[in-house]
Amino acid sequence: MTDSKVPKYPPLHIRLYSVWYRHMRVYTKNLLSNGFPPFVEPLIFLAGVGLGLGKYITEPMGGVRYIEYLGVGLLVTTAMFTSAFECSFGTFIRLEFEKVYDGMLAAPMTVNNLIVGEMLWAGTKGFFFSFAVLCILAAFKIIILPYGLFAPFVGFLTGVVFASLSLLVTSFVKTINHFNFYFTGLISPMFFFSGVVFPVENLPVFIRPVAELVPLTHSVRLVRAVCINNYDPILLLDLLYIVAFIILIGFLAIHRLKKRLVN
Amino acid sequence: MRHVVHPVYSKEFIQNKVKFSVGYDIVSAMATVININNISKSFGKVRAVQNLSFSVEAGSCFGFLGPNGAGKTTAMKIIYGKCSRDKNSDDTMDIFGYDPAENELAIKYLSGVVQQENNLDDELNVAQNLMIYSKFYNMPVREARERIEYLLDFFELSDKKKSKIKELSGGMKRRLVIARALLNSPRLLILDEPTTGLDPQVRHLIWEKIRQLQKQQTTVLLTTHYMEEAFQLCDYLLIMHKGKKIMEGKPTELLEKNIEEYVLEILDTEIIKPEHREISQSNIRTEDTPGVMRYYSDDIDVLKDFAAGCLESGNYMIRQTNLEDVFLHATGRQLDDRQ
Repeated sequence: MTDSKVPKYPPLHIRLYSVWYRHMRVYTKNLLSNGFPPFVEPLIFLAGVGLGLGKYITEPMGGVRYIEYLGVGLLVTTAMFTSAFECSFGTFIRLEFEKVYDGMLAAPMTVNNLIVGEMLWAGTKGFFFSFAVLCILAAFKIIILPYGLFAPFVGFLTGVVFASLSLLVTSFVKTINHFNFYFTGLISPMFFFSGVVFPVENLPVFIRPVAELVPLTHSVRLVRAVCINNYDPILLLDLLYIVAFIILIGFLAIHRLKKRLVN
Repeated sequence: MRHVVHPVYSKEFIQNKVKFSVGYDIVSAMATVININNISKSFGKVRAVQNLSFSVEAGSCFGFLGPNGAGKTTAMKIIYGKCSRDKNSDDTMDIFGYDPAENELAIKYLSGVVQQENNLDDELNVAQNLMIYSKFYNMPVREARERIEYLLDFFELSDKKKSKIKELSGGMKRRLVIARALLNSPRLLILDEPTTGLDPQVRHLIWEKIRQLQKQQTTVLLTTHYMEEAFQLCDYLLIMHKGKKIMEGKPTELLEKNIEEYVLEILDTEIIKPEHREISQSNIRTEDTPGVMRYYSDDIDVLKDFAAGCLESGNYMIRQTNLEDVFLHATGRQLDDRQ
């Protein structure tokens, strides 16, 4: 057979889009129950801080009011949480319980397409969740627009970062309960010690290098810069870290999940 | 006997089919479209498929028979790229001109696959489930809608279009999964145990639809362990056992070549006198299994005479042998560790 007869299977961007579209349709099917939490959660958080905790923290943190300090951090932690859940529990359920991937892989797409589509979807969710927090922060005049409008793009990157990490974790997981180790052991500590709740500079000196190793620290630094429109060249290192992390961890995740999906 | 099947496809569909089927507008009746030679697959120490070879003619229904764990599903998965075969320099695979190790996407685009499990999206309704898959095949929205209407009608699911998946019966889910596999008008339809666990009405409906697809030159690969299904649908059968091909041929040939035409079965083995357990007659073969005694012969009168001589009427049954007899003869009556 000659090459001219190769069937016109969908090109790469369509294959990635079709995976993304599948997730989008399933997610938006329950728009109300899925769309509410990202708006309500930051409200609860900020109300808790504004009404209570904030009164005790009178000194500015990182040069801004505490509510602003924490609020800006939430722009990326929300992306982290949604992406981590999507690509751990969500992926595992699709993989082992619903067998959704088995069906998808019988259609013209490769495992690579499937996983990259998954990561792009998690990034999109990160973008959307970040945007939701931005709406709340802007509504209460906690941050100043228009600079903050770029924050959801950092949310997107954060989503992709935690998609690749969570997919790698998922590739090791045998039963769904194992994810507890991931969330308690890695995601929760990141929330508290990556410069969201207080600056990493306040961490003990021997722990600081650890904070620099985890990805959320770099996301937080980027989003803070975006919100105050202050771009230090050193931020390029944070961006570089994030891109390298996505490529390296994403590659490993695809490599390991491939063994599980195509046996 | 096969009965005559009326053409069911609309003119538009046939036109679309020609449009979709890239490069194969006319398929000659006897062309082989699948050529598999000497493929193997191991999972650790388990040799799931061993040196399997077969070829499939265009527009035919090719059936894989075998007990659970025989390697049927693995063979299917190797074909559509869900499973990678063991590296072996002298094996070859040609599926519509492509090797799944090199051109997975081309094969997937030409094929429709119905897996053992109904992996539908519970969150979405019937039509949405199909719509999602139309995107995987990059079908334009309007074309996809028409095709979905057509397929829902074809499988008698039109009034379930907006239903949730949870509201569907097992038979409806199965028909929907088959409809999904047909979205892109595949040249090759792969059915992995399509009717397992379904009631006779649905099973016959599905058989009928598969025959109609065959009339449209769709090549069908099917695994089953229902002999009736194999006999009803398949033009050609391959019996697998423990990863190996043990016999192949047309269903009637398999019967003729591998087993006597008639069998006398006695369920109450206590009524058989010891001298009748071993028969020296050359035209009768005995098979003594716990609980059932069987006498096989090509001549029904020989069996009748034998029964009349030593058995009371009502204690035995004489019938034509069928595929199940061949199957059990070939694969053994004992369970093995893979079942």
